[in-house]
Amino acid sequence: MKRDPLFKRKTAIAYKTEEKTVLRGYDLSELAEEGYSFFDAMFILYQGRIPSPPEEKMLKYEMGEFMEHSMSPSAASAISVIAGRPNLPVAVAASIMTFGGVHGPGAAHGYMMNKYLEQGQKEGKTAEEMGKTLVDDYMDAGEKVMGMGQPQHTDGDPRAEPTHLKQEELEIDGVYLKLQRSVEKHFHERRAKDGRRYVGVNVVGAGNTALMDIGFSPNAGWCIGSVSRGYSCAAHALYNMKKGRAWAASKNEPMVQMLDLSMIKYIGPDDREVPSQEERQEYAQAQKEEGEYKKWVI
Amino acid sequence: MGDLKKKKVIGNLDDPKLPYDYGTRPYGTVPKDTTRPGFQWLSEVAYKNKHRIVARGYDTTELMEAGYGLVDMQFIDFQSRIPLIEEEKMLNYVMILSLEDGLSLPAILSRTVARSKTFLTQACGASILAFGHAYGAYSAFGNMLNDALKEMEQEGYPVEEVALELAQAYLGEPALGVSNLMLKDPAAKRMFARAEKLGVSGKHIALTKEIVKAAQQISDSPVDLDMLGAIGATMMDLGFSPEATWAIIAITRSFGAGAHYIEEVEREEMTGLGQELTPKEFYDGPEDRPVPSLDDRDKNAKTAQTFDLDAWKQAFEERKKLHGSGFAIVEEVEDPSVKT
Repeated sequence: MKRDPLFKRKTAIAYKTEEKTVLRGYDLSELAEEGYSFFDAMFILYQGRIPSPPEEKMLKYEMGEFMEHSMSPSAASAISVIAGRPNLPVAVAASIMTFGGVHGPGAAHGYMMNKYLEQGQKEGKTAEEMGKTLVDDYMDAGEKVMGMGQPQHTDGDPRAEPTHLKQEELEIDGVYLKLQRSVEKHFHERRAKDGRRYVGVNVVGAGNTALMDIGFSPNAGWCIGSVSRGYSCAAHALYNMKKGRAWAASKNEPMVQMLDLSMIKYIGPDDREVPSQEERQEYAQAQKEEGEYKKWVI
Repeated sequence: MGDLKKKKVIGNLDDPKLPYDYGTRPYGTVPKDTTRPGFQWLSEVAYKNKHRIVARGYDTTELMEAGYGLVDMQFIDFQSRIPLIEEEKMLNYVMILSLEDGLSLPAILSRTVARSKTFLTQACGASILAFGHAYGAYSAFGNMLNDALKEMEQEGYPVEEVALELAQAYLGEPALGVSNLMLKDPAAKRMFARAEKLGVSGKHIALTKEIVKAAQQISDSPVDLDMLGAIGATMMDLGFSPEATWAIIAITRSFGAGAHYIEEVEREEMTGLGQELTPKEFYDGPEDRPVPSLDDRDKNAKTAQTFDLDAWKQAFEERKKLHGSGFAIVEEVEDPSVKT
């Protein structure tokens, strides 16, 4: 059996021999035998270090809390994909790939925080002061402040404030939480002043703040959040695979299915005849000149 | 519908056997189905409202506040139960061993995607696609164990006999859980020892140990329990289905794949379209040949149709010789709802 690597790379993450698998210098099997937790191993993976107990507790809390979110874009992806009955990993992969610039944008939030902290450091300002600068910059530009607002939890994300409190309880509330708290304070004040409705902090704003304070990079934080969600999406896909109806369109199910024909609402161009090939060139030329098609271009 | 009404067109359109008149098909969407309740997100796994997220009946924030975590959540989401402390410890152990495996397939997929300047989440998702029925074949392995255990229970076959049958049938296959991959690495056997120490080992580990024994008896070369067998059997003794195991382990590895994405971006270059060359010495297809002019097309064109089964068979065998044509592969693409 060939055991040469398919991909040749210098890597500082791990190596594997016939005798052992070593992560950042630690034998994985020895770590497990010694009684370290999976969360400790995550610190070793991304930070090359063993965390303090409060840091380990914080990561355990954050990953557990982020894992399940019921009906969200990632779970919807998993369920839609599994409707075609591919192999289960395909649905799970799709769910994780759903995380982008809006759904769970952990990296973007992290980069934003780093940018303002760096600016504050250069300008000799505090994290609290930079929170106001950040809010003003974003709101003056008419942009959304990352980490604020959740379309389903309109009274505030139920996971968010408990995450902040857990960070404070564990006494690992560093510069990132100071900045985030300040962002929230100034965000709320400014919206109230403008007569706009309350918009609470979301789980990215809270959870990513905690992840950054315990030493994870923006991308590592994004990975932790989005991949943790993968577990629950797998459960949703598996439930639909084992107990649901493939294709999601059956007329024999008691409830109208997700892909039932009657679910289609069409708002595109009116029905029109297909031109013959003889008519084609003239038809296409007129269509292009008229330009009505442009309103449908996407 | 233009000339569809007037003449015979592609396929069997206008065929009187069609249950509707093709030429006068109606336009327009289908009215709302009011005979059945409207579509809703149907789930046994979880729900949420504005103020709560609830998995299998448990508020997830309350779970975390009570000291549960991601490892416990696997039992809650996939099995609808709180695990024993020993079970949580065992799954924690399994997840550590599943987190990273060097430059193996998930890392390669993640790094390959990373080279195209993508989001990290694309690379993490792609890494999960490495898990199939050879690499990380947890569903194939688990279903093999389940079928064997069912046979033992229903038919009363002794475990040694069933284990020998499996070893004879699957030795050398990637989903047996026994191979030459872990002859010098004790990690797989230590996992079973840990499961036994924690009191969570059961019939899946017991059967797998018998398969190892049987495989060692019939194999010409040394073989032993490998990580697939160790993790697969342990997960099933923890109550996870083969499919849940497949997903949980693939996702756990995806955290490692995320680190590989990051390192690839940090240390390597992006790859542009058309950048990579494939040297001629890698190529063993047809010799270079001139492209015939379109005028000579008929002289050079070959048709695929055959008109009797002997000719079909002969053509089929010939096509198998062209690598990349797909004719040499025969596989079952079945609905995995019943068995993955």
